[in-house]
Amino acid sequence: MHLVDRLGGELPRSPATLALDDIQATVLRYRPEPYYGTHVMLRIDDQRAGRELLRNLTPYVASAAEWWRAGEAWISVAVSFTGMVALGLPADSLRSFPEAFRSGMAAQSDELRDYGPNDPKNWDAPFGTGQVHMGVSVFSDSAQAWGETMEMARHHYRRFAGITELSAQDFGAQPGDLNPLGYRDSIGQPAIEGSGVEPLPGQGRPIKAGEFILGYPGEGGAPLPMPHPDVLGRNGTFVGLRKYQSRVGTFNRFLREHARTEQERELLAAKLVGRWRSGAPLTLAPSQDDPALGADPRRNNDFTYADDPHGHQVPLGSHMRRMNPRDTVMTRLADVNVHRIIRRSTTFGAPYDPDATSTEADEVPRGLYFLFLSAKAMETMEFLQQEWINNGNFMDLGDERDPNIGLQEEGATFTIPRDPVRRRIHGIQTFNVLRGGEYFFMPSLSALTWIGGLPAASTRL
Amino acid sequence: MSTSTPTATGSEQVRTVQQKLEQLRDLFADAPEVGRKALENVLTELKTQVSEPRTRMESAGRVGSRQGNVSELTIIAPFAPGGAERLRAFLQLLDGNFDGANKVGSLHDMRFVFLDNDTKLLFCTAFDGDWDPYIDDFVTQIPDYLDILSCGLEGWPGIRSPEVKDYLARHQITAEGWYVAHPDLTVADISRLKRVGQAVDEFLDKVGD
Repeated sequence: MHLVDRLGGELPRSPATLALDDIQATVLRYRPEPYYGTHVMLRIDDQRAGRELLRNLTPYVASAAEWWRAGEAWISVAVSFTGMVALGLPADSLRSFPEAFRSGMAAQSDELRDYGPNDPKNWDAPFGTGQVHMGVSVFSDSAQAWGETMEMARHHYRRFAGITELSAQDFGAQPGDLNPLGYRDSIGQPAIEGSGVEPLPGQGRPIKAGEFILGYPGEGGAPLPMPHPDVLGRNGTFVGLRKYQSRVGTFNRFLREHARTEQERELLAAKLVGRWRSGAPLTLAPSQDDPALGADPRRNNDFTYADDPHGHQVPLGSHMRRMNPRDTVMTRLADVNVHRIIRRSTTFGAPYDPDATSTEADEVPRGLYFLFLSAKAMETMEFLQQEWINNGNFMDLGDERDPNIGLQEEGATFTIPRDPVRRRIHGIQTFNVLRGGEYFFMPSLSALTWIGGLPAASTRL
Repeated sequence: MSTSTPTATGSEQVRTVQQKLEQLRDLFADAPEVGRKALENVLTELKTQVSEPRTRMESAGRVGSRQGNVSELTIIAPFAPGGAERLRAFLQLLDGNFDGANKVGSLHDMRFVFLDNDTKLLFCTAFDGDWDPYIDDFVTQIPDYLDILSCGLEGWPGIRSPEVKDYLARHQITAEGWYVAHPDLTVADISRLKRVGQAVDEFLDKVGD
């Protein structure tokens, strides 16, 4: 089901000032419900084959036109910096990409605080090797359309000896679309100015499009620097991919060790995230889950923290409040609107098992391919990893870290504010371990056409 | 102006305490007698102190040093004509009341010193974490105060300019020495500990009555 249907078939419209028919669909389309799909990582050994693939595939890459009433299945294409090199982009175009993008996610592990178990040396192949040149993803709301579209995409890239499929990870098809730790996810998304739709209840004011799509003014007033020529950069955006393995055994053991009854366990699970498993926010459902609320996109994000300044409902350190503090008064000056990202979270592997408590359960292939999109994705990811995920100072929480995707150190704590005294849980573990990551550029449709049609003369390797 | 020097990392750190002490004694051989004697007097104590360091100076990113959660930033930049006068008038108006800095929430202190007959500014601050991830926040939240404070400097590109980080790094000089009483405490931690201390006192007062 797509957004417009989930909202009951009506969506208050506003003028669309963005070039929606040039922007890739994945930038604006929400993940369908239910959802199915595949992420394919490709290596391009032959520049001509790479360009021909782009020429063949681009007509099938969906645009964001009328993104709120998305069609059945769609394809997106994104290219890493090593992929840009493999495709033989002109030297001045290559130089015009931001430094963090050119060096790649693995080389930015210090800036991203990817240490210890999250260190790139522990990543799964092919991530972090420089071999991932292109990411092709298929999203769909039906298993059949997914299969057909994937077949078509495969047909195109398998024709070339100079193109290698490094990995293909199916995702979605989970009971209730729950993530690997058993929650409904990807609920809060930023409203984007000029995208053609009024903000959903609780989204807040629309954020300047330049924060998410290149070529438009951002919150600071000016457009962000973009790769050139103009046709390459405009209407494109950057994508960060993070592959997480979910340690379900460790997570369930943690819940059992710190809660006596199932009811208490579920409340603790909700306190970690800020939402119950159904997606119902603790602000609107403080004492028990409300599945109808969780499933209603008109209501499940419609709240502020005005009546919860100390986090008695949604803990200040919970995942949801860290990633979007909304109107929380923070201890460090920050503008919540310049650190937002578009999130496309995709769950893979075995569904969540609430009874799995063994250490073996931690390594059952199961986790997330998390996509975050922003015109400054590298900068924003570094900010989030350094300040809002692996630190607590901005919420006056000392060294505490994000309970969902933070990298927990020995003896780490998680604080649940309560009256009269807070509860502080000792020994919180890392529940999602990083096993891969890449930075991509998601070009506009005209940029894909431009790359595919680069003259051979300028393409000597 | 590019006067930045490497921080006390890398090859500096691998030199042993013994080697550093020997070098110091060699250099002090030419020092005035009071200095030479003073060094001999404290040599044993000094050796113990540096063998078990309480803290360590790390790099705070591109330029500057960091100890635990606290970083230092020192800038020397030339004033543009009229810049010193304007900045002095603004600082005198504030008279030490920097509400904007309070709002930033990560500044331990700031110091503005006018050098060489009002031709250069020396700016020093100690602050929590890194400042540059927050530059976009400064741009949307307190751009005017930053531009008022800095517009008197020669070549100030404006806080909204993408050049601003490079401008600051170009004029920044890493401190050779720097002392932090509580490298583990941020401004937010200190405020919290003050509140906790007051609450505990109140509690003890009631219990003790």
